[in-house]
Amino acid sequence: MKAAVLREANKPLEIEEVQVSKPGPREVLVRPVAAGVCHSDLHFLDGSYPYPMPTILGHESAGIVEQVGRDVTYVKKGDHVITCLSAFCGHCNKCLTGHLSLCASPEVSRAASEQSRLSIQGETVHQFLNLSSFAELMLIHEHALVKVREDMPMDRAALIGCSTTTGVGAVFHTAAVEPGSKVAVIGCGGVGLAAINGAAIAGAGQIIAVDMVDSKLELAKAVGATHTINASSGNAVGEVIEMTQGGCDYTFEAIGLKATAEQAFQMLCSGGTATVIGMIPVGTMVELHGVDFLAEKKIQGSNMGSNRFRVDMPRFVDFYLAGKLHLDEMISKHIKLADINLALEALKTGQEARHVIMFDQ
Amino acid sequence: MALVTIESEITGNVWKIEAAAGTATEEEDVILILESMKMEIPVESPEKGIIKEILVSEGDQIQEGQDLAILDTGD
Repeated sequence: MKAAVLREANKPLEIEEVQVSKPGPREVLVRPVAAGVCHSDLHFLDGSYPYPMPTILGHESAGIVEQVGRDVTYVKKGDHVITCLSAFCGHCNKCLTGHLSLCASPEVSRAASEQSRLSIQGETVHQFLNLSSFAELMLIHEHALVKVREDMPMDRAALIGCSTTTGVGAVFHTAAVEPGSKVAVIGCGGVGLAAINGAAIAGAGQIIAVDMVDSKLELAKAVGATHTINASSGNAVGEVIEMTQGGCDYTFEAIGLKATAEQAFQMLCSGGTATVIGMIPVGTMVELHGVDFLAEKKIQGSNMGSNRFRVDMPRFVDFYLAGKLHLDEMISKHIKLADINLALEALKTGQEARHVIMFDQ
Repeated sequence: MALVTIESEITGNVWKIEAAAGTATEEEDVILILESMKMEIPVESPEKGIIKEILVSEGDQIQEGQDLAILDTGD
């Protein structure tokens, strides 16, 4: 199969012929139909999150089951599925206490001593986040996918595989936003827009979108923002405090920067909770004013929206088909796998929403 | 002889050890690969040297700041 291979940070991906191993007992071979090009992929492309090479990026996809391992009973050939990097073992302490997205069991990936799932003429290709979706085939653990209804368009379904689940999940699960509350979301990329949309579904009373790109702020309004702030024109923290008459009950940082994580905390009212979704580079420290803890202000992380994706993703599909979840606006362009580098370059500019790779069927 | 201790920047598991004690390394050569929050994270040699000792085994759970390996830079 063909795949977009990353051999060195900050270098273009190259389309290469890659060999896929046969499915193990609990593995599923999926033929992707669509794969989103996510901003998180850039963190690994530019080396801010180091990853062993060669690897195949991509972690947001939907496709059709091609083949299953001998012990797989959950799906069969032909099923429509969304993949998710939050593969869970189902029996560790995290899984058994309802925190499936924090499962760290190594059993969902192959051991270093086993044949790798992906290779190029005998050379190991490191599977990215147990998925590697910039490829014509994906060999994944059965607990890294969920079945979805077949009337769901695959390009929209792909977005649910990461950005939607991360943003909406942060609102529903990590922060548990209350109806009527005041919310601010910093960063209006795919994840931030999903958080805004999630806040609207959750019934937040005031939803303030913060970004430096006007076109993204327009998108934010389309998916549920009640107010917008262009942070390049002034003091975003001060404006949020003024708009909310004292600060937000919930803030969400969806960029991955020290400064904006600190701003998310500064935008809170007493008792408020800041949730950092963005991937802050390894080694970066976040500084907070200690006295703010006397006001019971809280800050927390959110990984993949604290998801229980086999429950959440079919619900998000229903939300889309019911018109509540806005995914059409999130896709700026459909591309071929061969155009992956152009899509990654476009992401760097921060001007566009998402490019989605459509694979030939 | 100058010894450099290589520490983990994250909490996770040791997925694969790429270089045994006695291996000569160049700067940025991968010594071992950690697994944390679904990510494989390579631990690279900070400079040229010889691996004096690997302090962990594959499958070990490790904490942020834990010593992983000792590098002899020969200075």
